[in-house]
Amino acid sequence: MTRAGWPHATGDDLLALHALRCIGFASLSRVADATGLPEPAVESELIDLAVAGLVTRVAGDFGGWGLTEAGRAADAERIADELDAAGTRTVVAAAYDGFLVLNPELLDLCGAWQLRSAAGVVTANDHTDPAYDARVLDRLTDLDRRAEAACAELSAAMLRFRRYRARLTGALARARAGALDEVSDSTGSYHAVWFQLHEDLLTTLGIPR
Amino acid sequence: MSWIHPLAPEVLEPADVLGGKAHGLVVLRRLGLPVPQGFVIGTGACRALLRDGRLPDGLDRELSAAVADLEAATGRRLGGPERPLALSVRSGGPVSMPGMMSTILNLGLTAEAADGLAAETGDRRFAVDARRGLLSSFAAATAEPVPDDAVGQLRLAVAAVCASWASARATTYRELHAIPHDLGTAVTVQAMVFGNRDERSGTGVAFSRNPNTGGPVPFGEVLFGGQGDDVVSGRALTRPLHDLAEREPAVWAGLLAALRRVEEHHRDACSLEFTFEAGRLWLLQARRGGFVGAAAARVATDLVDEGLIGRSEALLRVAPEQLRQLRTLRIAGAAEADVLARGLGACPGVAVGRLATTADAAVRMAADGPVVLVRPETSPLDLHGLAAAAGVVTARGGPASHAAVVARAMGKPAVVGTAGLAVDDAAGCVRSGGRTVPEGTRIAIDGTGGEVVIGSPRIAPAAADPHLHRLLQWADEVSGDTSARPAPERLSAAHAVLGRR
Repeated sequence: MTRAGWPHATGDDLLALHALRCIGFASLSRVADATGLPEPAVESELIDLAVAGLVTRVAGDFGGWGLTEAGRAADAERIADELDAAGTRTVVAAAYDGFLVLNPELLDLCGAWQLRSAAGVVTANDHTDPAYDARVLDRLTDLDRRAEAACAELSAAMLRFRRYRARLTGALARARAGALDEVSDSTGSYHAVWFQLHEDLLTTLGIPR
Repeated sequence: MSWIHPLAPEVLEPADVLGGKAHGLVVLRRLGLPVPQGFVIGTGACRALLRDGRLPDGLDRELSAAVADLEAATGRRLGGPERPLALSVRSGGPVSMPGMMSTILNLGLTAEAADGLAAETGDRRFAVDARRGLLSSFAAATAEPVPDDAVGQLRLAVAAVCASWASARATTYRELHAIPHDLGTAVTVQAMVFGNRDERSGTGVAFSRNPNTGGPVPFGEVLFGGQGDDVVSGRALTRPLHDLAEREPAVWAGLLAALRRVEEHHRDACSLEFTFEAGRLWLLQARRGGFVGAAAARVATDLVDEGLIGRSEALLRVAPEQLRQLRTLRIAGAAEADVLARGLGACPGVAVGRLATTADAAVRMAADGPVVLVRPETSPLDLHGLAAAAGVVTARGGPASHAAVVARAMGKPAVVGTAGLAVDDAAGCVRSGGRTVPEGTRIAIDGTGGEVVIGSPRIAPAAADPHLHRLLQWADEVSGDTSARPAPERLSAAHAVLGRR
């Protein structure tokens, strides 16, 4: 379905702010990856947001960029306003319903990728059984195919959701190419991106977790 | 009758036909234990649905007859305006697939029947809650409006439970666990018993022995005034099983007798799901064994001492795979430790550190030493806190929750689904069992047994257990090999010899 003004394009400042809301405390490169913007552009937006008191940068080993309380409140308000202005609430709510159907299965698959059950004991999946890993990846590929419909509806309504499809597809392709931590373990893994999409849908619709 | 079988002692069909759950209920009936009246639609009907796209001819007629028998046995009418019969409709395949298929509760409570239940019990709020339970479980299982005709509800519910065998999630589960796709599920239909009926009602899970240690003392949890799904979801505050002894002595005595009888029947530890309604005990599910590692070794050696099994059988009761995790650290003597709360172990190992209630606090406090992050649940927004913490505890969530998945990815001990634990991050404290524990308090968590302990308890590898040591000595006597080897190899060698006998 297309309408005048769709898909809605989000401004770079809100993109950067909202990315931090969905991915949490993160390095510049992760914010850039989540928004699809080049690092210097994201950094420039983050500095402006920091001047406005909405984000803050922490130095050190566990350092990075994060939202302030004011930033969290500002994001909630601006992302809700955007949804109403774009007239996309119905589409996002429908996609969220579709997402919820798939969510338990995705968690099952992540659990199965990390753990195996034998004789009633759960042990870490040591990835020495290629047939087992292939079964998990085949089911994940099947789930990814079923998730495509919800992602396509979201992207047709609001451009900022397009990035999730690209990131999910990328993580799955890397996992299928043998990168074991791209299913559930790395910060760019299928599981991590999926959870950010979950957080995004909740925030966008104003649903408390 | 060919598709449907009563839940009765004389039924001889195997678990392939009845499903594991109904088969266990038939065993309970044979042991003379209290099981709600009901019947089971065998797996054949589900297989017919999978094959032909519709339930078999003749099932409807059998269903009507089975409902009529149930009405006669209970003195109630399905959808009746007086003394209405309410039903539970549950899945149950030959192989357990927990949580993968549909369940519908309080079926038959049409608007009129709910009025009848309110009049019968004199408790309108209870009847309204029961009707709401039907509407939500029916909607979740069938995605169809609830017909105001009780028999129509039952037909749709049976079809929905059979169809849930083929749901994408259940299919994925079978792929991952190498369960054949053509087994099909049985459908167990029973008269409802209500744990939320009044203050003399409740529900719980009872183990004949402690599943964490194997110790020979009944163990479990009970929820007064609640239904089973409240316990499983971790939403409600449960009490230790032993609280029943004082509040409902007859239920407690009945439960102890049942645990003993089922254990003697299987000559193995067991667990029972139970509900009591107005002071009367009902058993809803029985499971045999399920103990692992050091707890399994303790049960096996104790059963030998009790004369129930021999040494060879004891050795065969413990799988070598179960001993691979024995280098994992455990809280030693968790029984003596100051246990604040218990949850589900989600990533093995022990973490000791100061309690932090937010991810930000965990990052800040980690600069001065190890931290255990305790949250209601976690989201990607807590990742920096999870990265900084030595271990994580969540009040909600199961083994597939975000916290569990991330903790395993990071190899950090985790306890999830910690019932009764409330996290107050605004006040910077956690509460459990009437105690308040402030941020900064030293705590320890055991990601195998699920204990959350105050202070720094003694920590030891699970392999130091004396019962396990004894079992492994028996294993060496059988294999004739006393050389120093890892525990799984010692047990495997004994299994190999016993397998040849």
